[in-house]
Amino acid sequence: MKAAALARREQITEADFLKFRDFFYRKTGIHFDENKRYFVDKRLLDRIEATGADDFRAYFIALRFESKGEELQRLVNAMTVNETYFFREAYQFDCMVNDMLGEVAKRKAPGSRIRIWSIPSSTGEEPYSIAIYLLERWPLINQYDVEIMSSDIDTTVLQSAQRGIYSARAVGQLPKDYLHKYFDQRSDNEFAISRDLVAAVEYSRVNLTDAADTRKFRDIDLIFCRNLLIYFDDLSRRIAAEAMYDAMVPGGFICLGHAESMSRITPLFSVRRFADAMVYQKPMSGVRP
Amino acid sequence: MGLRKTHTPDARRAVIDREHPRDLDGLLDQLRCGDVKQRRWAARDLARHPQATAALGAQLLRETEPSVREALLTSLQAMPGDSAVSALLPLLRSENAQLRNGAIEALAGMPLAVAPRVAALLHDNDADVRIFSVNLLGELRHAQVVPWLLQVLHDEPEVNVVAAAIEVLAEVGEPGHTGALRAARDRFADDAFIAFAANMAIKRIDAP
Repeated sequence: MKAAALARREQITEADFLKFRDFFYRKTGIHFDENKRYFVDKRLLDRIEATGADDFRAYFIALRFESKGEELQRLVNAMTVNETYFFREAYQFDCMVNDMLGEVAKRKAPGSRIRIWSIPSSTGEEPYSIAIYLLERWPLINQYDVEIMSSDIDTTVLQSAQRGIYSARAVGQLPKDYLHKYFDQRSDNEFAISRDLVAAVEYSRVNLTDAADTRKFRDIDLIFCRNLLIYFDDLSRRIAAEAMYDAMVPGGFICLGHAESMSRITPLFSVRRFADAMVYQKPMSGVRP
Repeated sequence: MGLRKTHTPDARRAVIDREHPRDLDGLLDQLRCGDVKQRRWAARDLARHPQATAALGAQLLRETEPSVREALLTSLQAMPGDSAVSALLPLLRSENAQLRNGAIEALAGMPLAVAPRVAALLHDNDADVRIFSVNLLGELRHAQVVPWLLQVLHDEPEVNVVAAAIEVLAEVGEPGHTGALRAARDRFADDAFIAFAANMAIKRIDAP
């Protein structure tokens, strides 16, 4: 490649960045501030090189018009960080115990069942975080039966979740007293979660886009579905949203990842803004097929 | 009380007996029934029956319950093809903006089946339909989008359709398209908005 062409390929201009940012936001709901410029440029340049495009303009046009959306998905993967640990995005757990469960409980008599679904379970950090939050920070925990269900399409991670062995990094955000209370430290980098917590979570293999899998889920009060839909294509996102809608009770809540937006997928849910987080809610008047 | 493992059989109940028949005829009957619950489930389950696309489209035109509409649109999206496009295109004439937008979103997901219809859409007698068709081009992932937009800039008599095309071209255009934008600006020389939009698009495309 000649020097001028090489230089062009290695450059993302301000106009390029703005054009890309608008498009990417429209397609994914992910917004990049100016201070993320380096992060975005680097990944864009990586993809430009990987696809063999001459420059940003050529890459953008190909990205914009490719019929299957495969490159867009690769770009989403590159632009998002897939990691999980205990108490990740804890503001939504705060919202759960400070507001959402209070609303749910108001509609139920003491002693009733409250059902929470965490999907994807990944290796268990999220459902166990929910369990710990409930036990430690929800004052009404002893007045209701709370069922935590957690699902993933990957049976390997489900097995890992049920083993419940975590690295120091995975438990790094947990308060020390919780760590001592719910984990058995086996070495510097190995923490085994309490078997009581493992026993409290019902795990299952579920493909969220397969109606045969999701139809079994009913009467869910609260769903955590974080950082999953962003990896789906447009149609799969809609199918997943439809499935969650039908699995929930009217008035039930959904928490998505911070970069995800249900409003971009379907108008089925309303936005609710609480002090700790913005979440989505199935309308009270909604039908329950 | 407290945390309790789900042992109750109704928690994730096995789907053994459905309350209503799930074959094509049974689902089509339920799609037209008065019960919202049944209509929504019928709409979802009809996603497995490509023969049902026309019925799904017809139901969309009369359906008033938003949650059923969404299920109908999702099922049509799940069966991309000529018959799904035929079922969705009439919605572009709907007075309901949510329905139109839903149709555009669904059509955008089936570019290969939409492409053969674009020429007719861009020559529709109804200028609103032509505007919505340009909006669709803005979402359509197809290599012919730019040539179609250039054709609108060149031929389209209605200023609002041209304005919609300029807006899309501002994002997807290349330096070679600024001439067409200037020509459209000249063609509607009396229209201040077209001048403004074309100049903005040219500026954006030419930005270093």
